[in-house]
Amino acid sequence: MGILTINHMCSHLQNASRARLGLTSVPNNKYNLNLALALHRAGFIASVTRAGPTPPPPEILTKFEDDEPVTTANVATRRLWLGLKYWDDKPVLRRLQAVSRPSRTVWADLDQLGRVSRGFEAGHLKGLNLGESMFVSTDRGVLEIREALAKKVGGVVLCRVS
Amino acid sequence: MSAARPVARSLLARATAPSPTLRICSSTSTSQFHSSAHLSARKRPTTARQPKSDAAAAAIMFPERSQKQLDQFAARYNAEQLQAIQAGDQTIDTKELAATGRLRVDSFRMPYLDDFSDIQPIIDKRARRAPPPDPTARFMAMDEFMDDLVAWADELPKGPPTGTLKRLHDFVEDKYRKVHERGWPKEVREKAMDKYKAYRDQVVARAHAAGAGEGGPTDADVLTYLLERSSMTDRNAPGNSEVAPGLPSQVPGVAGLYKRAIDPEDEGLDDEGIYQDLKKRTGMSVREILGLNVKLFKARWVSNQTRLGKVRSTSLTCIAGNGNGWLGVGQAKSVEPMIASRQAMLYAIQNMRPIRRYENRTIYGNIEAKISGTVVRLYARPPGFGLRVPHHIFEIARAAGIRDLACKIPRSRSIMNSVKATFEALLNQPDPEQLAMGRGKKLVDARKVYYGGNVY
Repeated sequence: MGILTINHMCSHLQNASRARLGLTSVPNNKYNLNLALALHRAGFIASVTRAGPTPPPPEILTKFEDDEPVTTANVATRRLWLGLKYWDDKPVLRRLQAVSRPSRTVWADLDQLGRVSRGFEAGHLKGLNLGESMFVSTDRGVLEIREALAKKVGGVVLCRVS
Repeated sequence: MSAARPVARSLLARATAPSPTLRICSSTSTSQFHSSAHLSARKRPTTARQPKSDAAAAAIMFPERSQKQLDQFAARYNAEQLQAIQAGDQTIDTKELAATGRLRVDSFRMPYLDDFSDIQPIIDKRARRAPPPDPTARFMAMDEFMDDLVAWADELPKGPPTGTLKRLHDFVEDKYRKVHERGWPKEVREKAMDKYKAYRDQVVARAHAAGAGEGGPTDADVLTYLLERSSMTDRNAPGNSEVAPGLPSQVPGVAGLYKRAIDPEDEGLDDEGIYQDLKKRTGMSVREILGLNVKLFKARWVSNQTRLGKVRSTSLTCIAGNGNGWLGVGQAKSVEPMIASRQAMLYAIQNMRPIRRYENRTIYGNIEAKISGTVVRLYARPPGFGLRVPHHIFEIARAAGIRDLACKIPRSRSIMNSVKATFEALLNQPDPEQLAMGRGKKLVDARKVYYGGNVY
């Protein structure tokens, strides 16, 4: 699937957020999991929990996994359950726009990321606006743009969130 | 051409030779191209009959009194009056009077010396039958009204005037008339009483025979009183104006019930009461309201299509701001442009909202708003950048107190919609504090950290 699963996840999260859902799920794979964890670190989502096809009970949401361990038998039915956040009657995750597509992967080196993070455009990437974040897939994992700058790594630009 | 001219002149002059009677006047004339008499010949000699000297004029205007006139004077006046007339004739210099009086002696002079005692409708202003109404008249007080009512009642016919009835003293002999009736002898008094009673009965019977209501007011009198009697202190005098007198400042019965809009707190700035409602809504004083930065934008003309035709109105958009972070937009339509502009201004002031400003000079981030086909994008800019925006957004930014701003209007640039979109964009700026709280982050503005915050 590659980057396509990220595109699906972006659209789904934006739709779920606009529909004011409290909990939603995306397919369980490494790419989705890494982006979900990066979103969680940036404070865009409340919780990331791996569970079965049905929504886990609320007490499970505080943990990373439910009681059922992942095995080769049940791994295909696992899903990532993401808790969405709302503040001041508005979704925290208001806009989630995928950048790279399967037909066109967008790369950004450290210099470009620096320019974008300061609000200037770099190549085809427009500068970040107030309160906007960008997520980059690097060899150090999926990082928020400021984490990538701190670690001095560039990579594939996945999405921009605001 | 110069050679031909004398020939033509002589030919024409011969053909149009003036008649002998007009030859004197035509001596100075040039060539004429018509057969009628020259203008100067046709002019009437207005000064022809003017006397040559003042003495001659005086002799015409003030001739010596004839013997017949003196005889008439003698028959009419006494000796002293005649002496006075002669003295006046000797004293007045007729020559000087003729020279300075400028009395006309030409044939077109008026047949009289006007003393203005007659009113000539063509020349004079229309005569008024009554003097102008009394400007100081006011409504009558209660006692004045009673006096007026009594005066009206006195005007009514009441039969024979009072005081003419006979008294008891008229029925006795002369020697008792100056004595009080108690001093009269008994038979005299009884006899007088009998006569007096008979006379009184006779008078009363005559009054009854004449009709019960004689002398009292008729229905017509009462109606006239109600309709035409003046209720003001002008003694019911007729005025030359059909216009009712203006109401006084203190109308009895309603004085004090109507309060004027003037509030002493307004310092005389709002005598027309335009801002009274706004003052209550906004809590601002009139001086503060008048100190706001108000700007009217270009008018649109809109029309309401009715079955009687189009009703055209003026639609105006107005902004108001205090130059320090408050901004309002108002829109009003009216058939009268003045009403529309005033109402738009009042709405703009009423709609004033606080606008978030970063460092009191620019906006937070880049914002965008869309109204109809108009999209307005506003960009925050560094200090000293200025207002590089279209003129109407410049006015908005200035009214709101924003000094660094850039703008793009990629689509329709309608002034009304872009003003509205700008206002909406400015109202919906992101709040970094709220964003940070939503994400659970701590936010610090680096510009306020480095150099002790002295970056601006």
